[in-house]
Amino acid sequence: MDQINALLRRAMPFQMVSDDMLRHIAELAKSSSYARGDMIYDWDDQADDIYIVASGGVQHLLKTAGEDNREKVMRSGDVFGWAAVLEGARRRLAKTVCLERTELIRINGQELMRLIRQSPAVGDVIMSRFATMITKEFSAPDSVAARVPHLDVATQPARAQGDGVGSGWALTSFRLSQWIKSPKPYLMVTGFAIMLGLWYLTVQVWRLPRFADMPGLTIVVQEMFSKNPVYGLSVYTPEYYKDIWFSVRRVAIAFALATALGVPLGLFLGWSKRFREYIFPVFETLRPIPVLAWVPLAILMFSGSETPVIFLTFLASFFATALNTMLGVESIDESYSRAAYCLGANKWQVFREVIVPGAMPYIFTGLQISVGVAWFSLVAGEMVSGEYGLGYVINTSYTMVRYPTIVIGMISLGAVGYLTSALVRLLGDYMMQWRVRELALGGR
Amino acid sequence: MNATIETPVRPRKVATQGAIRIEDVVKIYDPDGAAVMAVDHCSIDIQAGEICMIVGPSGCGKTTLLNAIAGFHSITSGKIFLDDQLLCGPDRPMAAPGSDRVVVFQNGALFPWKSNLDNVAFGPMMARKMGKKEIYEKARGMMADAGLGGTENNFPGEVSSGLRRRVEIVRALMNDPKVLLFDEPYRALDSLTKSVMHEALLEIYYKNKVTIFFITHDLEEAIFLGHRLVIMTSRPCRPKKILEVDIPHPRDYSVLTSPRFRELMEETSAVVHEEAKKSFAAGEKEG
Repeated sequence: MDQINALLRRAMPFQMVSDDMLRHIAELAKSSSYARGDMIYDWDDQADDIYIVASGGVQHLLKTAGEDNREKVMRSGDVFGWAAVLEGARRRLAKTVCLERTELIRINGQELMRLIRQSPAVGDVIMSRFATMITKEFSAPDSVAARVPHLDVATQPARAQGDGVGSGWALTSFRLSQWIKSPKPYLMVTGFAIMLGLWYLTVQVWRLPRFADMPGLTIVVQEMFSKNPVYGLSVYTPEYYKDIWFSVRRVAIAFALATALGVPLGLFLGWSKRFREYIFPVFETLRPIPVLAWVPLAILMFSGSETPVIFLTFLASFFATALNTMLGVESIDESYSRAAYCLGANKWQVFREVIVPGAMPYIFTGLQISVGVAWFSLVAGEMVSGEYGLGYVINTSYTMVRYPTIVIGMISLGAVGYLTSALVRLLGDYMMQWRVRELALGGR
Repeated sequence: MNATIETPVRPRKVATQGAIRIEDVVKIYDPDGAAVMAVDHCSIDIQAGEICMIVGPSGCGKTTLLNAIAGFHSITSGKIFLDDQLLCGPDRPMAAPGSDRVVVFQNGALFPWKSNLDNVAFGPMMARKMGKKEIYEKARGMMADAGLGGTENNFPGEVSSGLRRRVEIVRALMNDPKVLLFDEPYRALDSLTKSVMHEALLEIYYKNKVTIFFITHDLEEAIFLGHRLVIMTSRPCRPKKILEVDIPHPRDYSVLTSPRFRELMEETSAVVHEEAKKSFAAGEKEG
């Protein structure tokens, strides 16, 4: 089987195909051997199979409109008998005779078509490679190549066979369906069950010392889903959504600012050595200062209660984004910019065409970290200053002894934080199709 | 369609441009005050349209020479000319990179974020001398000519490494360069793919008039492809032996089993082996 795979891989129509698809094609293949002088097929025979030469040699005489037939000798890896995949009358256009002892692989044309129609995106590539081969290698007239079936990529589901060619959202939904089929979701549910179970047991059943005062699982759940919450906050109260909205809005503004300033700064830090000499030491001195240490200055600098919180949230995000972007620029293989210069690009073009897209994977890693730390510094900010917001809820609930509400705030933070970082990841996948496809081919 | 069936070879266009003259070039690296000589008074004359194979052990300094021609590195002394025009010399230690000398890189440098077609169209799109439509038409045509039809919309990461190399060569040729500089491009390929790539490269070469400056440590590759071999000494590098390969072009893989090929292999392998041993003893790094 491996030999068949290796042979198919060398055959021109299949050079582009993913390993997975190749395996499916290889399953259709049968081998047969011929002695010297054997005729494999004659002109106008019924064309059922396509052939790939494993070893030996085959003389291929293509009938042409003129008087001279085109002769070609097929060697290992060459593909012939392609009349079997053409549309219209499937009759042989050539006569083929073995020149020596020859091993061939044959694949039924109709079975092959059925298989590749399941993944039209790949199938179409295979077919257009067939067309190229027929005109280039066999010098067949264009009218023959025109009979190569054309698969309609747009109207059919893009990923039926794990073919590695899919558009952004199709890929995401494919991944989702794969995920549900895998053991992963069940493991995830088990993980949550263990955590919640431990919470329930330690606080409410075993009542371990120091745990007894904590809000128990059932109490929190009851409070969270109660229409008449004891402490005034549940999924049925509008205040709950107001708090979430305030927090989300602060994070969104801070994150947008941090991205708008951090990405360009990081790009320039990575790109220009001189700029880095000026800025980087200052940057590295400010970066380790914890967000909490900025609180007094933030309050002094900005009026009101909203801006200081946004500033604090922005700070942490900004450093994470800028640093990762800079690392991204540094990680770009030098040969990419050299190649661009070689091909005649100027400095600005190299920046636009190489540096920015090349750093993109790191930028998105940075953004995911950045949205995480944004939440984290948001809560710090909201606890110190500000009105509304999940951090504010947690802090005031503590001083007012509303323990279950603290946990409701925490759970909500976790859920919203998870959602935002999933959104950033999705956006990254959408913007970096090349990387998604590369990783998909790598089986990840 | 009037391409020939049997031989992919058309009568070769004769290049009139792309002669490289390397005159007494010296390159001394001076990283920590300890001067290391990479290239030692090296002179090579390469004719327009020639395939010149630079053969030497790993780390001998042959890439330094290529980088000097391409304009990535400076030289310490000496001169390099392209068609009697000074690329770099005493007053100008570093050549400016340009699309008349395009490098095909050791590990491949197709931009993974651009489709194969966008990669091929890159050079002319930067130069903006032609309209976008015209550029993409030319790019599609050249890809089809090189047997790359059907791969235009794939990203480089989605196709085999052999195809990637071919796309990279087509990308270079899109700029009508005078010289192609190959920096051991087939080093990472398995021998089967390599043999296919060699024939494909020759086929492309026969259709285009370019000079090829090709660095390798693979003697078989060197003799199969080259008009001429320049065997370099181990670091510091300088030509040790220059050998004309008198096997006529166009060549195909049957050349490998011909008696003349064997003779040339025998003639050169001792020299190359000796240098490789020296280089090994000196503990040179790969690269």
